[in-house]
Amino acid sequence: MSNTTAESRWVDGVSDVAPILLSVAPFGLIFGVTAAAADVPALAAWASSFIIFAGASQIAIVEILDGGGAALVALVTAIVINARMLMYSADMGRYTVSTSGRTKAAVAYLLTDQAYLVTSHRFPDPKTAPSVLPYYFGAGLGLWTTWQITTTLGMVLGAAIPSSWSLEFAIPLTFMALLVLAIRDKPGLVAAIVGGFVAVAAFALPYNLGLLVGACAGVAAGVISERWFR
Amino acid sequence: MWTVVILAGIATFAMRLSFIALFGRVSVPPSVERALKYIAPSVLAAITLPALLTPDNAFDAWNFYVPAAILGGLAAWKTRSIGAAIVVGLPSLWLLQWLFG
Repeated sequence: MSNTTAESRWVDGVSDVAPILLSVAPFGLIFGVTAAAADVPALAAWASSFIIFAGASQIAIVEILDGGGAALVALVTAIVINARMLMYSADMGRYTVSTSGRTKAAVAYLLTDQAYLVTSHRFPDPKTAPSVLPYYFGAGLGLWTTWQITTTLGMVLGAAIPSSWSLEFAIPLTFMALLVLAIRDKPGLVAAIVGGFVAVAAFALPYNLGLLVGACAGVAAGVISERWFR
Repeated sequence: MWTVVILAGIATFAMRLSFIALFGRVSVPPSVERALKYIAPSVLAAITLPALLTPDNAFDAWNFYVPAAILGGLAAWKTRSIGAAIVVGLPSLWLLQWLFG
């Protein structure tokens, strides 16, 4: 995914997310296994894969309700975890200005960390990029299909997947790789360092708020540090 | 559970659609557009570092995730590929767990 091309083809979208699917698949299995073992309605947990379609928040809902937590807490936690979608939406919006309402809805439904990141990585500048839609839908549908299949599979297979494989580590590994590829210049590096360490310092905040606090601090640090490197 | 799933689904979709729907109707100031560039590195670092440094919800910089993730990150940086991070990082973790676990 290092080469930036002027063309937007769905096959490129699929092939760019293919390696990411290596980590989405175990994540999907883990969600399925967790949901099957939890004391929650299995059908609702399964349906969350296409109703919500955002892994971390789905796991949070299952874990909170399984632990006897209030429904409102589960809902608020899921919304806070997914609040980063606001930021992705703000960036993706630049690519979809002249598309129809229906297309915008489809783009929004398929918006995930990975689909956003591969698209913004391959087409860094929306002003010069062609319509990114074929590429984006290739990536987005590849992720969507993988998520539906693996979460279902995880629920069916249940405890047959041994925890000693540490498959859950595939998730931070993927984000590590995406992070490395997302740092394109010095202000970007500053944004990452500040964002990461503020999030670590704030990790004890409830509802995963540390993520948002860190992300906002990182963006601010990136903008401020632009002046130093000029 | 159903209520939570459906409401969270609606809220998540609304957040995903928010700015995608707004763009083109309102103009975005250049300063905001400049800041958008730093979303990806900031969010990714804010997801990755706590995941590595606070396993089991407690700060612990000396766990096997850290060296395995550094190796995986180096592999991704060298090859510009995400798959390389998995192919290098996951076996590194297994090796560390097997050697010292």
